[in-house]
Amino acid sequence: MQTSKTLTGPPPLESGWLSRVVSSYAVRTLLQALLTIWAVVTFTFFLIRLMPGNPIDVYVGFLMNQSNLTYGEALQQAASQFSFDPNASVFQQYLGYLGDLVRGDLGTSITSTGTQVVDQIARFLPWTLFCVGLGLLISFVLGMTIGMLIAYYRNSVLDTAVSFFASVLGAVPDYIWGLLILVVFGVQLGWFNIGELRGTYDPGLTPGFTPAFIWSVVRHAFLPVLVYVIGTLGSWILNMRSSTTSVLGEDYVNVARARGLTPGRIATTYVGRNAALPLFTLLAVNIGLVIGGSVIIEELFVYKGIGSFLFFSISQRDYTSMQGVFLVIAVSVVVANILADLLYSSLDPRVRIEGER
Amino acid sequence: MRQFFRALARSKAGLLGFIGLIFYALLVGVGPMFVPFDNEVKTDQVNAPLGSRLKLVTRAADAARYPSLASLEGQVVGYVSSSGGETLVEPLEDTFDDTEDYRRGAGVEDGLEELTDGDIDGFVLFSESLKTYPIGPGSDFPDLTVSNARLAPPHLLGTDTQGRDILSHIVNGGRTLIVTALLAGLISTTIAVIFGAVAALVGGPVDRTLSALANFILVLPKFPLLIVLAALFTLDNILLLATLIGLLVWPALMRAVRAQVLSLRERDYVEAARALDLGRRHIIIREILPNMMSFVVVNLILAVTAAMYDQIGLIFLGMAPINDYSWGVMLYFGRTRGALFSPDSASMVLAPVVAIALFQVSMVMFARALEELSDPRLRTA
Repeated sequence: MQTSKTLTGPPPLESGWLSRVVSSYAVRTLLQALLTIWAVVTFTFFLIRLMPGNPIDVYVGFLMNQSNLTYGEALQQAASQFSFDPNASVFQQYLGYLGDLVRGDLGTSITSTGTQVVDQIARFLPWTLFCVGLGLLISFVLGMTIGMLIAYYRNSVLDTAVSFFASVLGAVPDYIWGLLILVVFGVQLGWFNIGELRGTYDPGLTPGFTPAFIWSVVRHAFLPVLVYVIGTLGSWILNMRSSTTSVLGEDYVNVARARGLTPGRIATTYVGRNAALPLFTLLAVNIGLVIGGSVIIEELFVYKGIGSFLFFSISQRDYTSMQGVFLVIAVSVVVANILADLLYSSLDPRVRIEGER
Repeated sequence: MRQFFRALARSKAGLLGFIGLIFYALLVGVGPMFVPFDNEVKTDQVNAPLGSRLKLVTRAADAARYPSLASLEGQVVGYVSSSGGETLVEPLEDTFDDTEDYRRGAGVEDGLEELTDGDIDGFVLFSESLKTYPIGPGSDFPDLTVSNARLAPPHLLGTDTQGRDILSHIVNGGRTLIVTALLAGLISTTIAVIFGAVAALVGGPVDRTLSALANFILVLPKFPLLIVLAALFTLDNILLLATLIGLLVWPALMRAVRAQVLSLRERDYVEAARALDLGRRHIIIREILPNMMSFVVVNLILAVTAAMYDQIGLIFLGMAPINDYSWGVMLYFGRTRGALFSPDSASMVLAPVVAIALFQVSMVMFARALEELSDPRLRTA
């Protein structure tokens, strides 16, 4: 409800074309989104550069360990390999970065010399989006169905049992579920071989629309998707239950019943549609949370998505790569929020966006 | 208070949660007095009767990593010469950071066969993650005890990869985690309540600024940012860690508090108080706050569980200090030392997993019960 209020905003004061453009929903949303993304980029940019140690230090340490070089030699070799000038002021770096960003250039990775950050992100992000998207979709649909069902039978044994189960699901951190699944089903019962399930697909397969490749992708994504489902299902069930319960008490549901509409029709068009509304805003919030949390899940399952890539970049102090991932996460959260608002307004006529009238 | 307990007894889940929390309070509060932390590394100590023939079995990967072991593979590595234990293999912890393959080395089957045939009396299975010393069926040496004994009386939960008692780590490893999570929950709830109430009651530019700040923080990828912050500050004191977590998680609750205060302001009894001209202070302290207390307490509990998630996640990734041996550190070592992948050291991972899971479940059940108690519409009985 809160978001819808900010969307409608103040009524246009004058009829000049400029104010109409500025107050038009699309432009305002776009401006707000850009402002938010800029703020996140700026904040993370300076924060990242405040971290102790820079990529050269990390690499020098690595070289000294690896090839028994002296500090001087290692420093020389590292500096020659990296496209990073530790002597430029942070503010200069910031302006340069923003300039490149406007042109769609995320820079080159500092530690993997010569690799464009855009390419790295294009390589890792789809896997995470696939797993997180699929997991959230499954758990959203499943949670809404179950939540609605138990709201119809509220205070029954079924309701008590499912609600309890849902609370337990939501209470335990997703990575704890992941560990439990790995140890119990993978290692103790031997249902699957964890070693083979590392990575995003079996090594040696060429990506393409071949049955072997698709089967391999599905097998490798199964555990992360399962954990995303388990980790979010409980909250969908409980939210949908309370949402449906309150909708069931509404007058229009009684009126629909009085009109003699079939229970199925009432459940879908009257109850379901209205009860699902508040859940869409939650969905947007969840996307950001789950992508952020994918760092642990992907590290746990050794799944090469954006989360494990971010963790690697952080440990390498790869400024540009880190920055790129933060940007991508911020953009996906902002886009998810906008989509949720659009969906919300198209489902709920009461908050139809201005300008669409 | 009596009403609280009577209501609690009605809600089974809430009662379970309450009992769970009391259990945890005793575990981390009193437990350490009875079960001191076992920090004595007992790697590769074998207590076997004199003359026992022991054989070293190792997996190929380990043998390749430590060439000195390769020559020992399949050999009888030693006879137990003095009862009370003899170190057969030098401890090689901390040099092994790769968990690509696991056990199922070729030597194991051979070793078991030789055990059955009675050619040897036991074998030392060398691996970073597990050390098993099986005794052959019908063995003459039933009292062969080893550092990594399975679940058995002095070690109820078994021992870790260094032969230390896991139960003592569970008993001693919860206090800092819980204290930090409580602190983080308190910090974030305090910020959320103050900002939310101020935003709703003052309104105008103050409201807009605080709401914008909350919206901005909500967009930030919280967990990745915590990793960066963990590298930025050396998180060696729990107050700092709690503050960082608290500073990042308040916005969601703040928006809820703001909405709550806005709606409470319009309630009839507040209108009535206003009509009676009871003053703003009276309205805030006597009319609005009491009606929000249960809401705030429930959210405080949920904030504590959220802080638990972030904190243990950081430790699990190795981004928070591990000078304090907590449940999170157990998970971290379980992962980095390969215990996660070997059937024999499951206890090292499962024990903290269960400890964390039950704590979180108790907290959430208790919070849900409180929620039901305070909201008459949700009250089931």
